[in-house]
Amino acid sequence: MVFPHASLRLCLTRIGFGLTCSALSLGVALAQTDGASEGQRAAAEAAAALAGGEADEPVILKTPAVDTRRVYVQDPAHFAAVTQQFIIDGSTGRVIGMTDGGFLAHPLAAEDGSFFAQVSSVWSRIARGDRTDYVEVFDPETLLPTADIELPEDARFLIGTYQWMNALTPDNKKVLFYQFSPAPAVGVVDLEAKQFERMLDVPDCYQIFPASPTVFYMNCRDGSLARVDFANGETSVTNTQVFHAEEELLINHPAYSLRSGRLVWPTYTGKIYQMDLTEEAAGFREPFEALTEAERADNWRPGGWQQTAYHRQSDRIYLLVDQRDQWRHKTASRFVLVINAETGERINKIALGQEIDSINVSQDAEPLLYALSAGTQTLHIYDADSGEELRSVNQLGRGPQIIMTHDMGS
Amino acid sequence: MNSGISRRSVLTGLGLAVIGASRVFAQDRISVLHEKPVPASDVPADAITVEIDKMKYQTPEVTIEAGDTVYWINREVMPHNVAFKEGIVAEGAFRGEMLTKDQAYAITFTEAGSFDYFCTPHPFMRGKVIVG
Repeated sequence: MVFPHASLRLCLTRIGFGLTCSALSLGVALAQTDGASEGQRAAAEAAAALAGGEADEPVILKTPAVDTRRVYVQDPAHFAAVTQQFIIDGSTGRVIGMTDGGFLAHPLAAEDGSFFAQVSSVWSRIARGDRTDYVEVFDPETLLPTADIELPEDARFLIGTYQWMNALTPDNKKVLFYQFSPAPAVGVVDLEAKQFERMLDVPDCYQIFPASPTVFYMNCRDGSLARVDFANGETSVTNTQVFHAEEELLINHPAYSLRSGRLVWPTYTGKIYQMDLTEEAAGFREPFEALTEAERADNWRPGGWQQTAYHRQSDRIYLLVDQRDQWRHKTASRFVLVINAETGERINKIALGQEIDSINVSQDAEPLLYALSAGTQTLHIYDADSGEELRSVNQLGRGPQIIMTHDMGS
Repeated sequence: MNSGISRRSVLTGLGLAVIGASRVFAQDRISVLHEKPVPASDVPADAITVEIDKMKYQTPEVTIEAGDTVYWINREVMPHNVAFKEGIVAEGAFRGEMLTKDQAYAITFTEAGSFDYFCTPHPFMRGKVIVG
């Protein structure tokens, strides 16, 4: 179901007013011709209220309670100085709220649904002047900020948003953010004390995969993972074995489950590396090829932005693929492979019917497959099992790229 | 370009300009002969050099005397430079000009100490100058 009108979405945000919403809902619904829609339902309700002599009482709404099918869509807007995040109910395809962010704001979601947050950057004169990096924490139902924590000067790595360049620790007490220049470092933000804690010096490694409240892993230039332990004010770094060759290029968008510690990391050709990260160590699984030899010979390769998803309960991997030249790895794809992560066996090859840049899944027992097109600014929602498209949500900013969920399932 | 030059640095630079009349500018603990890169062919034959190639400073650690000049020479098409975090050679940070293939950049170290440096766009490239 397509959400009918951008202005209607404002009704559901913290800046919306009931009177305006009712009027807009009516207007939008009258313009609808494609069968039952959210707008038509709202119009019928408003008409019935009017006929019943019910007065309009403008209020600021809350979102429905957080569940596993809530999905956040972050729009970096092609490097615009200010950005937006859309909060969507995946079950109905309704936008239920929005948040504003600065330049390349990085979204984070507590797996238990207790809050969501972002690491962001703003300037005193929009895109110039004094820069402020900060972490903002939001109540998940009022969408009001509950913390605003300033970071050290120029601390953030400003880059096209990679899902795991910043992370929450599994106990939801710290935000870990990456600094690229002048030297690799990870910043620690204490959400309980609501203050920046310290920078950790790390080796030439990238991305952050927390495995415990004080241990996280990173992927290093030398082909190993770094294990970083920052307990008790110290920083202890050790490296694992080198697990991939120099010519095997790992993509920028691995999938990781904070709940189970599984890291799923494809290469440009679709070879899947998997690691089980615990506080103690990284366990490496036997890698396998997601694409058959015949497919690889026929130019099938992964491609897009957020190309990998992992469903924890079913232990399934979802990978965005299509036929493409070797160096068109950031163009959209039209197919998703569904793979048994334990055996490497293919379960399904879903034809999306759309040019899709990013995918993710809800973490409930009957998951939804989210497929996002930056080109059409539309989120398509599929049954992850059958691959049937159920509904879609359009007008999601200018170039939406990141899909984030809460892993609240058992 | 260099950044974060403190008042003391500026004064030092002015002093050097008057005394030496050759340095284009100076930080607290270094001075720079040419702000812009020079051709590698201009590097004196007996100079202390650090070659840059294959994404590395080929001599990651050099030991010199105070007053010596180190020349960095880039031997590949990938641009590189020499940069210091704040507090290393001056109160502020220092960022040398980018070098393309067969360009050189010279820094004279005026005080004893150990000075860690890195390449601005490639922070994994690091080196050190020890001034005895």
